[in-house]
Amino acid sequence: MRFNEKELVSLSRQPSEKAAELGMRGPKKGDVVKKRLVKLVVNFLFYFRTDEEEPLGALLLEQCRVEREDEQAFSIAFLDEAERKYLFECDSQEQCQEWIDCIIKARSVPIPVPVFVSFLSPYSYEFMRKNLIFYRTEIHRLTGKDPLEQYGISDETRFQVNSAFKPVSKET
Amino acid sequence: MKLHEKILTHYLSCNSPVDKEGYLYKKGERNTSYQKRWFVLKGNLLFYKDRPADRDLIGVIVLEGCSVQLCESEEQFAFSLVFSGTGLRTYKLAAEDQLSQESWIKALLSASHSFLSLLVRDLEKQYEEIRREAYSSDSYQRSTVIGPDAERLAQSLIAINSSPSSQKPGSGVREGRSYSTNLMLLAPPVSSKPITKRSPKLWPKRNAHVTPINGPAPPLGEWPLVSSGTLEDFGELHEHYGKEVKELRADWLQRKQQEEDKVEEDLIDFG
Repeated sequence: MRFNEKELVSLSRQPSEKAAELGMRGPKKGDVVKKRLVKLVVNFLFYFRTDEEEPLGALLLEQCRVEREDEQAFSIAFLDEAERKYLFECDSQEQCQEWIDCIIKARSVPIPVPVFVSFLSPYSYEFMRKNLIFYRTEIHRLTGKDPLEQYGISDETRFQVNSAFKPVSKET
Repeated sequence: MKLHEKILTHYLSCNSPVDKEGYLYKKGERNTSYQKRWFVLKGNLLFYKDRPADRDLIGVIVLEGCSVQLCESEEQFAFSLVFSGTGLRTYKLAAEDQLSQESWIKALLSASHSFLSLLVRDLEKQYEEIRREAYSSDSYQRSTVIGPDAERLAQSLIAINSSPSSQKPGSGVREGRSYSTNLMLLAPPVSSKPITKRSPKLWPKRNAHVTPINGPAPPLGEWPLVSSGTLEDFGELHEHYGKEVKELRADWLQRKQQEEDKVEEDLIDFG
């Protein structure tokens, strides 16, 4: 499949909230842990050989599951294949937790959300879209006005409430 | 660089909704003719294949760091995805008709992760403000919903509202217009209330999507869309780009005036 590699590499060079040297192991049998510079930019996880300018690879953080593996390691599983995990080893328990918090939805999102959302990365597109739909619906409910109207994007498909996510009716 | 394709194709085929799909013509890189392809927009990824029923994808375009622009072209209803940066590409696309063109431009403009991120934060703030007011005694005194930034937003939206692409005879014979849309949204008119006077805010020039072509990328602190620590209001950023578009539009009007002074012939003989 073709893709815009140069542009993606350029994206990987942008400043990121989360970048660190971690031990990384691929999902295949026989893969070993290698030291990599791992960097989170928008909904991509890039990994570099230390001191190299171009990333070795890019993982899209959509439809993935993050789990703690032990005190200092976490894993990301893609494709609904729980066995195909990428393992990341951190230097400390703290660092490990920070990375998990970053990738997993564990941050304070002050809304009751359906459980499945907790497997989405706060950086993932799907997560943000669901948040947006929630806020849009709630603001509309509380004020009678659609906040997206002012931006002229109320009819964009991606911002519509779909059956997969029904807004929770809130009391206070 | 390895892009783990299976993850992308899995994302495409999973049950979350597709944001937009349809036929577009895509100009090749080596073969410069326009090829008809079936495009699927999901999140910040634009996939394309030969036909809707095909299982194999030809390719994908990651839509981060690009602006959507109308462009000059022999092809009607053309627009382009411009990636700013040294050696980065411009994708030229064309729609089948004007409606499709406008619809795609609008969808692609709001597709980037950065855009969505700003929008969510903006709504989050509005929501929190509304909830805070709901608890205070004089709650619904001020105008509903719209925070102070949105009034300036509404102002910039009105000014750029009748953008060139929304005045339409269907001829589309001359595609002489080009202007950068960046974060600008082709919005319908918004009825404005009297805008409260606010002292203009001085803030550094931001080029979140447009880096100087021949220069290095701006230093860390100047990428507000990526590092959330220094994020500005979506509304303010929107207004800033609105100004840029106003200037471009004025420029375009001026050039159009000069062009109209010359005699124009139909490029196509309508008989």
